[in-house]
Amino acid sequence: MLGDYLPVLILGGLAFAFVVASLFASSLLRPSRPSPAKLAPYECGNEPVRLPKGEKFSVKFYVVAMMFIIFDIETIFLFPWAVSFRKLGLFGLVEMAVFIALVFVAYVYIWMQGGLEWEQAPRPMERTAAEGEQEEELLRAG
Amino acid sequence: MTGQEYAFVVLALVGTVGAVRLVTAKNVVHAALYLVVTLAMVGSIYLVLGAEFVGWVQILIYVGAIVILFLFGLMLTKAPIGRESLDNQQRGLALLVALAVLAGLVFLIQDAFHWGDRKMNLVHNTTGEVGRSIFQHYVLPFEAVSFILLAALIGAVVLARREERE
Amino acid sequence: MNPTIDYHAILPELILSGTLVVVLVVDVFLRPPRKWLAMPLSFAGVLAAFVATLTLIGADRTTFGGSYHVDPFAVLFKVFFLSVAMIVLFLSLRYFREGRYYQGEYYFLLLSSVLGCVMMPSSRDLLMLFISLELVSAPAFLIAAFRKNDPRSNEAGLKFFLIGVLSSAVMLYGMSLIYGVTGSTNLYEIGKALAGHLGGQETLALAAILFVVTGFAFKVSAFPFQFWAPDTYEGAPVPVTAFLASASKAAGFTGLLQLMFVAFIHQAAFWGPVFAAFSIFTMSIGNLVALQQRQAVRLLAYSSIAQAGYMLLPFALAGHGVDKEAFAAAVTYILIYAIMNLGAFAVVVAVSRKSSALLIADFAGLMRNAPLLALAMTIFMVSLAGVPPTAGFWGKFFVFRAGIDAGGIGIALAVVMVVNSVISLFYYLAIPRQMILVEGPEEPMRSPALVTFVAALAAAAVIAVFVYPDLIAHFPPLSTLVGS
Repeated sequence: MLGDYLPVLILGGLAFAFVVASLFASSLLRPSRPSPAKLAPYECGNEPVRLPKGEKFSVKFYVVAMMFIIFDIETIFLFPWAVSFRKLGLFGLVEMAVFIALVFVAYVYIWMQGGLEWEQAPRPMERTAAEGEQEEELLRAG
Repeated sequence: MTGQEYAFVVLALVGTVGAVRLVTAKNVVHAALYLVVTLAMVGSIYLVLGAEFVGWVQILIYVGAIVILFLFGLMLTKAPIGRESLDNQQRGLALLVALAVLAGLVFLIQDAFHWGDRKMNLVHNTTGEVGRSIFQHYVLPFEAVSFILLAALIGAVVLARREERE
Repeated sequence: MNPTIDYHAILPELILSGTLVVVLVVDVFLRPPRKWLAMPLSFAGVLAAFVATLTLIGADRTTFGGSYHVDPFAVLFKVFFLSVAMIVLFLSLRYFREGRYYQGEYYFLLLSSVLGCVMMPSSRDLLMLFISLELVSAPAFLIAAFRKNDPRSNEAGLKFFLIGVLSSAVMLYGMSLIYGVTGSTNLYEIGKALAGHLGGQETLALAAILFVVTGFAFKVSAFPFQFWAPDTYEGAPVPVTAFLASASKAAGFTGLLQLMFVAFIHQAAFWGPVFAAFSIFTMSIGNLVALQQRQAVRLLAYSSIAQAGYMLLPFALAGHGVDKEAFAAAVTYILIYAIMNLGAFAVVVAVSRKSSALLIADFAGLMRNAPLLALAMTIFMVSLAGVPPTAGFWGKFFVFRAGIDAGGIGIALAVVMVVNSVISLFYYLAIPRQMILVEGPEEPMRSPALVTFVAALAAAAVIAVFVYPDLIAHFPPLSTLVGS
């Protein structure tokens, strides 16, 4: 059974070796002349002006994360069920239907309570015009 | 040593390093990422032991979901992500307790199974067998689990909701 | 092969499950002023489950491949848990309605926890026991934190949760070791395997038993796992505290009774002394700290720790030839304790409407303002101390007699228990003293009819059981698990 994982392991090893080898090879071949403009992040977003401070994320993210976990666990149970589905027959089907229905009640509940609605947009950037200008200047300078 | 034993030693070593770094890391986000390493190694050890289903569950649930919740928790609670701020002054005591637990468990396991004089036959515990065991023998606990999940979700929503008091 | 399921045997559980889903769904469609209707709905469901349980009296059924038993022991505790659930529902109505807490969600979570309690005494399988215990605890963590605007309630939920999860983890590790040693999760099979030759794994088995006990020791707030109890009891909504201190604690004890007297009985010589130490420390520390309390719920919290010590005492007598008597004494004590404790909490719920701080001083003058409640509270306090003419006396008497009959360490334990009972008189009588002797502001107190009803009923029961102890003491010997 473990032998089944050998190709996976070999693939993983090859991928790792490829990354190391190509990085090493290119470090040998490329010239290295850094300048501030080259070290700036390119097409990876802006340089952060300041760290977000004291701004809490909406607690609704937490509800979404909880839902993710609960349904993740539910899905896990589907694996062994699906594999042995033929042997379990109708009994297994009913069992899983009950299980999913119960967890689904939670989904309905959250939906009805408005837990999935984002009517108040997560606070838009509450920055003053002055701050915005400052930022632009910084960008131009950078 | 067989290939399996080599694999175990490697996985266990990496997992242990991850666990040590997890509790010594100064940055909580780094700590959460070290947790990924440790949990993934535990999952891999399950795979090496032939518990295929449990291994993948470990990786899907713990690495895939629980650590995500950790990171969400860090973002939501305004936890100081910087250094030292979450450190309390109990390191020595914690180390002592951890070492005592380690010594105790090593003694117990060693006393019961001895070092390497026992050849364990790996049971081929396939996903299908696990399925039959859950859905035929453990029907009631399985359905009860759905109530625990339901209660956890509802409770989490209630506690997370903002009060709309008039 | 798919299992054949005895649907009659699990009818109470099925009714309860259906009810809690209906409560949750109906609540979504109720407008806020009508949210309280979730309580009568829950009550109807619990009552139906109660009736269904009554049809199982005398049954001895096994289902789910031997992991779920509906025998006299299980039925006795199911009746008990469902009765407690009804009483807690009575206590909750006004409290949650006036506090505008999330009522539908509260009743849903409370019923989930009750479902766990009802499954516990039938669970004769490690996995089943673990799931039942989690089903009791998980919703309880959440409803302990339901007073969201009060940091003390947040603290209550959080402490309860952290310590609960830690002890669950230790217990689960122990269960995995037990399975490793015996190769079974069924309690009867484990009992058989542990009676035989373990091939050098005896030490591991004993350690595993300790790990498993840890999980339950937390649940019943035994020393040294009692730290969460006072803070949680104080911060949680008072009806929730009443539930935790009675049903949830009793659920822990039913699990412990099954494990110790069915699965681990052959190791009694090892764990008996451990329980003796648990018992002595739990009752002594609970009582000594209770002496210094100024707040009524904290006082009752330490009192409930001390009471857990008395309930742990019969465990220490296992293996001394009085197993049956000790088992019955433990069951009797748990039942009697729940009646008097629920009654005391009913009075506290009533007083909490006047003063949410619930200091003992707030009870001053209650005798004049609400004579019925004051009288009932006096009866409960006297009963908790174990003084006649109350039911508490018989509870202590049976435990005491089992200790004397066991001889040896049993006699020592019985003496410690009597000394502790005397100490406990000092703090139990502090509340009646306030109510009767201390002048308080004269303002007639109006307590909700249901709460008064519960207090009066419990007080009547405490007196009635003293006169006819067989009202309760008749059943535990018939529902023993010893020797099965």
